[in-house]
Amino acid sequence: MHYESPIREPLILEDKTLHDITEDVARPIEGKANKYWWALFIAALLAFMWGAGCLAYTAGTGIGVWGLNKTVGWAWDITNFVWWVGIGHAGTLISAVLLLFRQKWRLSINRSAEAMTIFAVIQAGLFPIFHMGRPWLAYWVLPLPNNFGSLWVNFNSPLLWDVFAISTYLTVSLVFWYMGLIPDFAMIRDRAVKPTVKKIYAILSFGWSGKAKHWQRFEELSLVLAGLATPLVLSVHTIVSMDFATSVIPGWHTTIFPPYFVAGAIFSGFAMVQTLLLVMRKVVNMEAYITIKHIEYMNIVIMVTGSIVGVAYITELFIAWYSGVEFEQYAFLNRATGPYWWAYWSMMTCNVFSPQFMWFKKLRTSIAFTFFISIIVNIGMWFERFVIIVTSLHRDYLPSSWSMFSPTFVDIGIFIGTIGFFFVLFLLYARTFPVIAQAELKTIVKSSGSQNKK
Amino acid sequence: MATKKTYFQGLGELANNPELEKFQEKEFAEKLPTEAFLSDNDKLSESSTSRRDFLKFLGFSTAAASLAACEAPIQKVIPYVVKPEETVAGVANWYASSFYDGNDFASLLIKNREGRPIFLKTNDLCDKGGINARIQASVLNLYDSARLKNPLANGEEASWSSVDQSIISGLEAAKTSGKQVVLLSSSIISPATKAVIDRFATKHNAKHVTYDALSVSAMLEANSDSFGVRTLPTYHFNKADVVVSFAADFLGDWLDAGHGKDYASKRNPSVATMSRHYQFESNLSITGANADYRTPVKASEIGVGLVNLYNFLAQKAGVSSVKVAKSGFSTQLQKAANDLWKAKGKSLVVAGGNNKDIHIVVNAINDLLSNHGATIDFSIQSKLKTGNDSDVTELINDMNSGKVGAVIAYNVNPVYNLARGAEFASALKKVELSVSFSDKNDETASVMNFVCPDHNYLESWSDAHPYTGVYALVQPTINPLFNTRQAQASLMSWTGLGADFYTYLKSYWTKNILGSTSWSSALHDGVFKTSTTEKTPAYQGSIDSAVSALSSLSGDSIDLILYTKTGIGSGEFANNPWLQELPDPITKNTWDNYLTVSPRFAKELGLTNENVSNGALDGDVVDLTVNGLTLRVPVLVQPGQAYKTLGLAVGYGRIGSGKAGDGVGVNAFVFADNFSTNLSGATLTKVEGEVHGFASTQLHHTMMGRDRIVKETTLDAFKKDPTSGNEQMLLATHKGPQAPEKVTLWEEHDRDVHWWNLSIDLNSCTGCGSCVIACHAENNVPVVGKEEIRRSRDMHWLRIDRYYSSDMTQEKADAEGVSAIDKFLEMEVASQAETLEVVFQPVMCQHCNHAPCETVCPVAATTHSREGLNHMAYNRCVGTRYCANNCPYKVRRFNWFNYSDNEQFDFYMNDDLGKMVLNPDVTVRSRGVMEKCSMCIQMLQKVKLDAKKDGRKVRTGEAQTACSIACDTGALTFGDVLDEKSDVFTESKSPRAYHLLEELNTAPSVWYQTKVRNKEI
Repeated sequence: MHYESPIREPLILEDKTLHDITEDVARPIEGKANKYWWALFIAALLAFMWGAGCLAYTAGTGIGVWGLNKTVGWAWDITNFVWWVGIGHAGTLISAVLLLFRQKWRLSINRSAEAMTIFAVIQAGLFPIFHMGRPWLAYWVLPLPNNFGSLWVNFNSPLLWDVFAISTYLTVSLVFWYMGLIPDFAMIRDRAVKPTVKKIYAILSFGWSGKAKHWQRFEELSLVLAGLATPLVLSVHTIVSMDFATSVIPGWHTTIFPPYFVAGAIFSGFAMVQTLLLVMRKVVNMEAYITIKHIEYMNIVIMVTGSIVGVAYITELFIAWYSGVEFEQYAFLNRATGPYWWAYWSMMTCNVFSPQFMWFKKLRTSIAFTFFISIIVNIGMWFERFVIIVTSLHRDYLPSSWSMFSPTFVDIGIFIGTIGFFFVLFLLYARTFPVIAQAELKTIVKSSGSQNKK
Repeated sequence: MATKKTYFQGLGELANNPELEKFQEKEFAEKLPTEAFLSDNDKLSESSTSRRDFLKFLGFSTAAASLAACEAPIQKVIPYVVKPEETVAGVANWYASSFYDGNDFASLLIKNREGRPIFLKTNDLCDKGGINARIQASVLNLYDSARLKNPLANGEEASWSSVDQSIISGLEAAKTSGKQVVLLSSSIISPATKAVIDRFATKHNAKHVTYDALSVSAMLEANSDSFGVRTLPTYHFNKADVVVSFAADFLGDWLDAGHGKDYASKRNPSVATMSRHYQFESNLSITGANADYRTPVKASEIGVGLVNLYNFLAQKAGVSSVKVAKSGFSTQLQKAANDLWKAKGKSLVVAGGNNKDIHIVVNAINDLLSNHGATIDFSIQSKLKTGNDSDVTELINDMNSGKVGAVIAYNVNPVYNLARGAEFASALKKVELSVSFSDKNDETASVMNFVCPDHNYLESWSDAHPYTGVYALVQPTINPLFNTRQAQASLMSWTGLGADFYTYLKSYWTKNILGSTSWSSALHDGVFKTSTTEKTPAYQGSIDSAVSALSSLSGDSIDLILYTKTGIGSGEFANNPWLQELPDPITKNTWDNYLTVSPRFAKELGLTNENVSNGALDGDVVDLTVNGLTLRVPVLVQPGQAYKTLGLAVGYGRIGSGKAGDGVGVNAFVFADNFSTNLSGATLTKVEGEVHGFASTQLHHTMMGRDRIVKETTLDAFKKDPTSGNEQMLLATHKGPQAPEKVTLWEEHDRDVHWWNLSIDLNSCTGCGSCVIACHAENNVPVVGKEEIRRSRDMHWLRIDRYYSSDMTQEKADAEGVSAIDKFLEMEVASQAETLEVVFQPVMCQHCNHAPCETVCPVAATTHSREGLNHMAYNRCVGTRYCANNCPYKVRRFNWFNYSDNEQFDFYMNDDLGKMVLNPDVTVRSRGVMEKCSMCIQMLQKVKLDAKKDGRKVRTGEAQTACSIACDTGALTFGDVLDEKSDVFTESKSPRAYHLLEELNTAPSVWYQTKVRNKEI
């Protein structure tokens, strides 16, 4: 009897050879930028400069140029911060967690996802610094030995935990990302024709020569860093959520926040990865590497985390009612029916309802629909943070202090600026860095036996 | 024998060595080889200093020189060349003085730091008069940049001698031409000033006309009719068991700032009889807000109501009643009458407004109740207001007919605060000589020939005789800042008495007042009391004509009440930014006057208020027409306002008052024809498409069913159980129900030195705002201006929350099955019913011992003291605002901008003059840092250091805060709870004591005492 076991579906399409992969990955770096790239880059640069101007205005004049007030002390600043940190979650999850689980499909997307993580965390990091009334003293949040007397930081403060969490996350992600880049930089170096380019990539590749010893160390370090990074995926947003969860403000003081924030972060991170990769695979011709399969997998993650987030929202409502605490009850009722109802229902629609479409295979394998949903999810997750921060603060305990928040052009300008900055970095990355971890990717060229059947 | 000594520099010189002489003529011993050096090009090029080096050095030294020339910040620290004996840098001196501005009298102690008066408090030696927000803020008026720096002659600065010369010749000219010389002033209570005026009047044949902007002329006339004396009695609210007020805002601006403390002494439920207070009024005043029973009444129906009350009482007294229409609120009147009759001789009926008929009936009612001689005291008269309305009318007529040759205006601003102000200004053109003593080029001064700016009262010598048997002195606490002269000195110099009013005053007092007491001891005390009393006049009134004038309802017209706000009063202090930014106790609005309209009436007229996206309040605008005059005013929908009666505050719409006061609001005095504040026949037209932005410090007006914020009970319930309304809150835990403080993660602090607590009695607090201003003055709290208040960014460390009751309650929702959404929506709306209740709750930093703010600051800028206070280290603050977010009381204030030295905040902290009011003990905060109430830590440190220096413990009651000092009614009690003799210890153990938001177990150092209303449910 002849039994032929089913052939695994290939992870890379179009029967790419190893050389093809090298060519494909090196092409955007060695070639010239097209006009779309330039158009995007200039738009992003303008947005970035506008945001930088707004930041300079804020730092020079005072936080008063934002729309905050005595009741609502955080609004767009911390909303943007949490949003960007959340976006920064997918990279590590894809590279570290999926590495530990030996999910090989990650290899075509991990590089860009990690790049996105790092660029997003850079945006996120701007807000805690610039939301300070005196940003020039931001270094005081670091436990530096000083001559101010016996002044030390307050280890009770979740904001301090944030400092550690974010900086650790950024460091580990950066190292992990960079380490993965070394063999690929070496590949670019080896192909480079111009001496300056060669020199630059030579420096960047740390003298990589592809020896077996190098590969052995590379693999070991990957594993160690993946082990280190995996808990960070959980810890960063857990700690960010503690900014709120450890407070006394109804709507913030919620024990559900750590898992809810982590799920939300993965949710938004994957949505952002989708947004970027769907564009990138088209622009730099990576359809063979970033396949419908990838898109579908990521859509499933979005669907699952979106549902987790939805359960969290409903749990919050239930617990508010069940707790019998009048402040808590009002806080949640006010979210849904108060003056910011539109923000709450935008959040609900975008985050809970829209991912449910992904139950349908047809929709989750549709590129256009995926792109649409990824944008929707990003909007929804921004609203989630806005809802948590602003609607909780604007009506807390004493009704005499209740107020409202409305952003100024500076609030908006800074947010747009960070989006611009993010894309400036990402577009520069796409032209100068190997956007796919080609060295590792080459290990999975033959993961399917389909070639052998031909 | 003289010898000519010669000195020599060395042995060579002594020996007259010629070689040496040759050398001595030259500067250098050997010729310098400059020429050889410069001519040798080879050597030059080898030299290490090349041309390039030279240019480098040149460049460097130019840059260095220009850098050094850059302006270094100039710090003006000027040491005393000769230190004044009594001044020790860093130590305050206190001087006794008095305040009287034509309205309020207060005997004060003035805190002087390094020669600058910076804070005021009441002088406890004087039990009469009282401090209010305006008096508290008056210290800032001294440093007003709009004050005149020199006398003006026809608008140009001039010298005193030239001005004096012209005025004297002008006065002579008036005399020769046989025309009147008129001194127009507000009420004058200074005996020495009166003596000077008499001398002046004799010399120049002058007439003295007195009027008060907030006139009580009608009351004086009524007393004249009823008692035969044109005078004001003093009122003993502390002896009245039942108080019935017909629109008399006696906790606001009615007659005397001292009523609040008398009233509050009867509002403590622990005293033998807590008073019961009925208020019948059209506007919601702070007095009405404090009443047990308040009835909103259309302004024109007050008179009918009053006569109805007379009839109810006459019935009980067995006196014949009078004919009158039935009042629309006779049930409430009947109830008030019953209570009044029960408290006969221990009750008090008072009325506001400037209507003689009303006051005649009030006198009759008080006579029926035998209150004269009991709660109304004619033996101790109040001299605070003596103005006569008809004299001013006559003056204007005389001026118009050319009979007046000279007008001297003293402490009055007739062009602004007379309804016929414009007419006054035009009539003034027919007067040859006009002189103003105004310290500013205000509405009146600017149309006068000469302005002879008076000193501020803190620069002046004067005296006061505010009440029978009470004399007070005013002494300068700073050298005159500008080239100004006291009005009295000006009058003296025009009378030929020299210009030394101090000597005049001293000799006047020694001769006429002091008797055997020494001048210095009177000056030290600031107040001098005699046991003189006046003869009590017998009641001899008849009410017939008054009743016939009042007895019919005036139909359906729209009434307008002109009222005063506790901050701005008659507008004299309009340029005081503290007062402009002091929220009105009721509306919580700042920097504005507006037309208050009842919710029902507003709905009928289609007038609305709404909050824009950042929460700020916007209102519709109307054209308000009364007696043919039209003003465009914004509308504020005011719960508790009587239907079809409008309210509009006077004191706004100033011109020439200065940068803060000018252009704020509209001048409502134009309506006050014949000093009437109660007008009929108003019409309103909505101005389509125009909205007005209000600046309100409180945007939400009800407690939203959170009844534990202000705990309330009734007197009856309190008597049965003193903890009523203050039941112990219990949280459900696995150990069963537990008090919140038992459910805790916190370790307790050691309590070993002091443990500062503040107790706030919600029964005594009238909401007047005096504490808010005291806090501003003591703690350098910045003024931020209207636009920033609209952005909800007031910087007040101490605020007074005002809540209205709501028609929707938790019980009602449960009973009627209202959905949660509808319940809260309806709870947001203040009660539309007549039974609207109001509560005031001062809130400052609660100094939590389990402080949510302290745990979240990443840099430990806010920490706990071992004395139970929550500290704020401005220098350490990086400004994350996390502490403010996590504060359940929302008392933390962030410096959104630099508020000092910033042109954008052009109030007082950006000019050298205004900055003189700053308290040197308190840091002026820079932008980007958080600030909040410190419990006046600088005052506590002072008290502790004094005790340490003297080697003793801090005395009981020695430690105070600015707010507890400023509170006249005793609502704020500060002290050390470790000291069991202290009042605050007693208060903290009171069955009424509770912590705000106790369920959070923040363990505050501030206590609140349950509000007890003397009413039946």
